[in-house]
Amino acid sequence: MLGVLQNNTLTALEQTLSFAQKRHELLTGNVANLDTPGYRARDLDVGDFQNALAESLESARKPSPVDGARPVTRDDILRGPRSAMEQVVFHDGSDVSLEHQVTEISKNQHLHNLAITTMRSQFSLLRAAITERA
Amino acid sequence: MIKSIDISTSALVAQRTRLNAISGNIANISSIKDENGDAKPYKARQVIFQTDDEMTTTGASGVKVSEVKTDEAEPLYRYQPNHPLAIKDGKWAGYVAYPNIDLTTQMVDAMESTRAYEANIGVMEITKSLGRETLSILA
Amino acid sequence: MRISVQPIPRPASLVAPPRPASPFQTGATVGASNTFADLLAGQVKQVNQMQSGADSAMQSLLTGGDVNEAEVLTAVQKADLAFRMLLQVRNKLMEAYREVQQIQI
Repeated sequence: MLGVLQNNTLTALEQTLSFAQKRHELLTGNVANLDTPGYRARDLDVGDFQNALAESLESARKPSPVDGARPVTRDDILRGPRSAMEQVVFHDGSDVSLEHQVTEISKNQHLHNLAITTMRSQFSLLRAAITERA
Repeated sequence: MIKSIDISTSALVAQRTRLNAISGNIANISSIKDENGDAKPYKARQVIFQTDDEMTTTGASGVKVSEVKTDEAEPLYRYQPNHPLAIKDGKWAGYVAYPNIDLTTQMVDAMESTRAYEANIGVMEITKSLGRETLSILA
Repeated sequence: MRISVQPIPRPASLVAPPRPASPFQTGATVGASNTFADLLAGQVKQVNQMQSGADSAMQSLLTGGDVNEAEVLTAVQKADLAFRMLLQVRNKLMEAYREVQQIQI
């Protein structure tokens, strides 16, 4: 009977919410270390998370995609050419650009609120079905 | 969410410490005697930040003040042979030692510290808003 | 500088299903069925389709798929409303049935 509370979309929403909160913590830490010499900005890769989520939804096996998310710094990512602005390291060795961090925080907030709003509507629908009051 | 607030708070505390040090520097910009009354000019204090990795377990970290360094630069000497605290003999006979603090540098530092403080307050507002939204799942 | 704009292909899951007909119209739009029961069953199936369409659109959005956020949220809302409408219809039917039952012969 309670299988209805375990449907795929709800699980995906929970995972996304969890991810958004973890990422917010990281980004907050970046802004806190704005003036710390030698600090490297940390972030969780959204694309990786979404791929892991897609896989786990398809296979319906649930290794939690959120646990697999590890913070990455720019030095870890050895992929191809990157834009020149991303290479900037400031005089004190820190590479935190405040504007970039604030943008990422905003985007993350949007994702977070999307997940929450959708979750609310799902629960409200379930409640309507249960109480038979639309 | 609570941890995010802790992280932001650590930044606020660190920046406040830095601002206090800067205020002290500016206040003592003409102090030629130290707290014991000896004729040693004031030496600028500098606050060193360090990432505080013990704060959380998810890879995010706050910031802490690792030490408050005293600037060991040479004081500025001005030739004032009739000043009661002028040096009596040696290379700097007749000079008075003044603190080597540059007002402009201190003011720019203070502005930067204020900006970082405001940025962290902004992030804290966002954290609170996220927390409120999360609560709305129930209500 | 020439910019060419290509229309974005709509994912199949978001093609709008045919508008659910009001149960009080004669059911010409719902296949070759004329009984009220068939009508109702057709509507239930439609609502279910809308729900699962909205579901998969939402999942696609969360996994970084190529969908427009506004479209997904609209689809979710439409499915929501269709379900609630069906629920109300069902409630009215139950009420009517109980009323009929209480008719003294």
